[in-house]
Amino acid sequence: MATTSVTGGASFSRRDGAAPWRHVDVTLLAGVAAIASLGVLMVYSASRNLGADEGYFLRRQAVFCLIGMGVMALVATVDYRIARDFAPVIYVASVVGLVLVLSPLGSNRRGAQAWFQLGGFQLQPSEPAKIGLIVCIAAYASHHRGDLNGRRMIGALALAAVPMLLIELQPDLGTMLVFAAILLATLLVAGARPRHMALLGLAGAVAVVAVFQLGLLKDYQKDRLGAFLNPTENTQKSAYNLNQSKIAIANGSLTGKGLFQGTQTKLAYVPEQHTDFIFTVVGEELGLAGSGLLLALFALVVWRTWRAAALAKDLCGTVICIGVLAMLVFQIFENVGMTMGIMPITGIPLPFMSYGGSATIATFAAIGLVLNVHMRRFS
Amino acid sequence: MSSDNTRLRLSIVGIVVVSLFAALFARLWYLQVMDTGTFQALATQNRVRTVFEPAPRGRILDRQGRPLVENRGYQAVTVTRLDVKDKPEVVTRLAALLGLPRPELEKRIADPRYSPYKPVPVAEDVAEEVVVYLREHSTDFPGVEATAVAERTYPHGSLAAHVLGYVGEVNNEELDARKGGGYRLGDDIGKSGVERTFDLDLRGKAGTTRLEVDANGRVLLPALSSSPPVQGDDVQLTIDLDVQALAEDSLARGLEAARASHDRNTGKSFVAPAGSVVVLDPRDGSLLALASNPSYNPAEFVNGIRPEVYAILQDPVSRCPLCNRAIQGQYAPGSTFKLFTALAALRTGLIAPNTTFVDEGSYRIQNCRGEKCVFRNAGSQSYGRVNLPQALTVSSDAFFYNIGANLWFGGGPNRNAIQGAARDLGLGTRSGLDLGGEMRGRVPDPESRKKAHEDFPDKFPYGDWRAGDNVNLSIGQGDTAVTPLQLANAYAAFANGGSVLKPRVAARVLKPDGEPVREMVPESASKVVIDPVHRSAILQGLRSSIARPEGTGAGAFAGFPLDSFAVAGKTGTAQVVGKQDTAVFVAFAPADAPQYVVAVVMEESGFGGAVAAPVARRILDGLAGHPPAPVQLAAGMD
Repeated sequence: MATTSVTGGASFSRRDGAAPWRHVDVTLLAGVAAIASLGVLMVYSASRNLGADEGYFLRRQAVFCLIGMGVMALVATVDYRIARDFAPVIYVASVVGLVLVLSPLGSNRRGAQAWFQLGGFQLQPSEPAKIGLIVCIAAYASHHRGDLNGRRMIGALALAAVPMLLIELQPDLGTMLVFAAILLATLLVAGARPRHMALLGLAGAVAVVAVFQLGLLKDYQKDRLGAFLNPTENTQKSAYNLNQSKIAIANGSLTGKGLFQGTQTKLAYVPEQHTDFIFTVVGEELGLAGSGLLLALFALVVWRTWRAAALAKDLCGTVICIGVLAMLVFQIFENVGMTMGIMPITGIPLPFMSYGGSATIATFAAIGLVLNVHMRRFS
Repeated sequence: MSSDNTRLRLSIVGIVVVSLFAALFARLWYLQVMDTGTFQALATQNRVRTVFEPAPRGRILDRQGRPLVENRGYQAVTVTRLDVKDKPEVVTRLAALLGLPRPELEKRIADPRYSPYKPVPVAEDVAEEVVVYLREHSTDFPGVEATAVAERTYPHGSLAAHVLGYVGEVNNEELDARKGGGYRLGDDIGKSGVERTFDLDLRGKAGTTRLEVDANGRVLLPALSSSPPVQGDDVQLTIDLDVQALAEDSLARGLEAARASHDRNTGKSFVAPAGSVVVLDPRDGSLLALASNPSYNPAEFVNGIRPEVYAILQDPVSRCPLCNRAIQGQYAPGSTFKLFTALAALRTGLIAPNTTFVDEGSYRIQNCRGEKCVFRNAGSQSYGRVNLPQALTVSSDAFFYNIGANLWFGGGPNRNAIQGAARDLGLGTRSGLDLGGEMRGRVPDPESRKKAHEDFPDKFPYGDWRAGDNVNLSIGQGDTAVTPLQLANAYAAFANGGSVLKPRVAARVLKPDGEPVREMVPESASKVVIDPVHRSAILQGLRSSIARPEGTGAGAFAGFPLDSFAVAGKTGTAQVVGKQDTAVFVAFAPADAPQYVVAVVMEESGFGGAVAAPVARRILDGLAGHPPAPVQLAAGMD
């Protein structure tokens, strides 16, 4: 740990400071850049007809991406082992953010108390909190040198439980499930005992059953689940959404209707098509060729992330990368899966594709972490 | 760091990731390649709305091109109930615009005659300013529209109502029966008469506009495609407005006169509730008039009939005004049937035209052992020695009883010769008239009797055909039943020398500008060979029954210039169990070159010669160009 004092991305005059940048994962960067560019284009196509200013969402999403890239560079620059050492601070900051958003300082949109209104932007503290959780679990695992006995397992679970509970209070079931996925994957790689993992799996199953049996689901959640289980019988909003989503994707067929030519997209039949249902735009306008390519690019990014995990210098780096991987894979599978009707509908954005500042920037930051770990695999 | 343990755990993560991605790819493949067709259709269904503008129906014209049914075009304001359900402010605004009190407008919107599939018209003949205002302020009036409406009008009221028929909203049964015929829920369809038979010609083609609609229901202009409505074709009838009016008027007067006269059998006046008239051209089967009384006004059905009006039409007290008795009423023909009996007797050689028989006023069946062996003439009058023309003239029952009995006792195929003659001239089968709902009548024979007995043993206590049945049949009593149209058409076949024609009311179909689309040609259903000697003997009898003082129709035709316009005819008086006599009369004229057949049937009205013949005479007066006289009941019988 020689390099602890790189002060900025702009100046790499010191040899040992610039050295890691020679090992940066260009493939991963290229993949992310390709997806984000496609995302900006698709957001434009989906939102052109939404308001008077057809470039509004385009410009904002482009700006979010630029900010995200800056943040990514920043996160990559600071050695992840420094971040590890500051894990308690990151953790407290995340929790404070999640507590404050529940206070009158936060604002409520579509039934969830999940945003801070800052001028013309909304900050969603649960997005950076994902990164926070990844770093904290990694730090915790690394602190215990990969030996998670029962007591330490409980400690890790307690660590994750606080932000998860706060997010469920918003309520935002989707994001909470992302946390659960991150937790499960990182604990697995961090060295949790097989029987503890089995127990955790069992507890998860019991929790799912309990949620249903005890009626803990909100009405809109039941509606979404009903739409997922019985798309044709249900004329509720969610079933409508799901049907229109499937129509859009299937309407694209092999080569798509052409950019800006999708009728489902153009005529706005799929609600939330520039945010959670952005994949339908790709499916309809670019067809199997475009949506297959997008999935392939996602697979590339995930593969590079997994590879970074495997090559990481230490357990902390491995766990960080697997945390990011779990976040990406869960969001991709859940989001794309719900648009095609193989997963229930939840409000989870598609990484680098869905319109939205907090999620875009946080995901870039997560990739920054992976780059960070990867380029310091020798140091 | 990369211990073997971590490597294993990373592999587990890798396997999970690969399988999740594989699942996404598989699903994507299924949707975009395997199942794409279904969803593409759904996408089109999603975005394309087709708006239909109903086409004005074609007109219905009389024989001379005078309109019997037309359209009235006007601007109407319509309201779609669902759209204004939760928007009372729209109703308030519209009430102010139309200058109507709000409760009145609400009442009109709630009009039960309109189905939920149709916008409800709340104001007709709306001023142009109102239409323009509504179009310009459409956002203030969701569910309110100003549309051009073409509505059926009947310049002659209820005239020829049963021929014209009425129009109503298509129902589910009709939709099912016409799948693929382009009918949609809410469309108008001809429910009866010419409107029904020629619906495909009359209905025209609705205008369609294919609009692209976004998820919020906003229409994207310009329209994807649009075609204007095409007005339906006109149907020109063989019905002559003047003859039809004369027939209806004469029938109504006749029924009225019958109601004012005394029935000797019951001691009361006649009920005379209903009747019908057929006037047809025996040369080509075209109908000049088809009247059925009581009638109705088809205008009542425009925009849906009011329930209370419909209830009256359906009330048994009203005697079914919607029934077309001329083709649906089935009556015992009485002595008008003697034409067929005479033909059978001559054809089989049982008698010659001048064979005589002594009519003693009654007839006893030989070797008869049964409940009924003696059959009497009407009024038990005896006519002495008569041949066939004389028997027809005075309507001697005994003469024909004798034929009926002898044909039966003669055995062999001639046993059913009377039925054969009747069937040859079209009785017992539908004539094939181009109006729906025609009944087939009944020519009874041993077989039908057997079946009737098996099916209804109470009504038909014995299943075998006896001599008495043949005797009854010979004068058109018993189970014999004909429709007025069948009777007219059979006499037409006799009049024209043996062509049983397919009667029709439609002459041609025309484009709205008069260009012919298709012409209906006279069709002959069958041809009967009638020996000229036989025909002439029967014709002599039919002519004498009008012209000779002893003829049963002579009273009705007193003063009629038969020299210039000779009439041949036959009266009939049918007995109906539990009811007063049915008056029947059929005639054709001019007798040597027939152009008209007139059949009149009047329920519970008395003697054919006394009541039905005067009605026919008034019609023939008109056809011959004489000024119409009041209907005067004649003295006379049968």
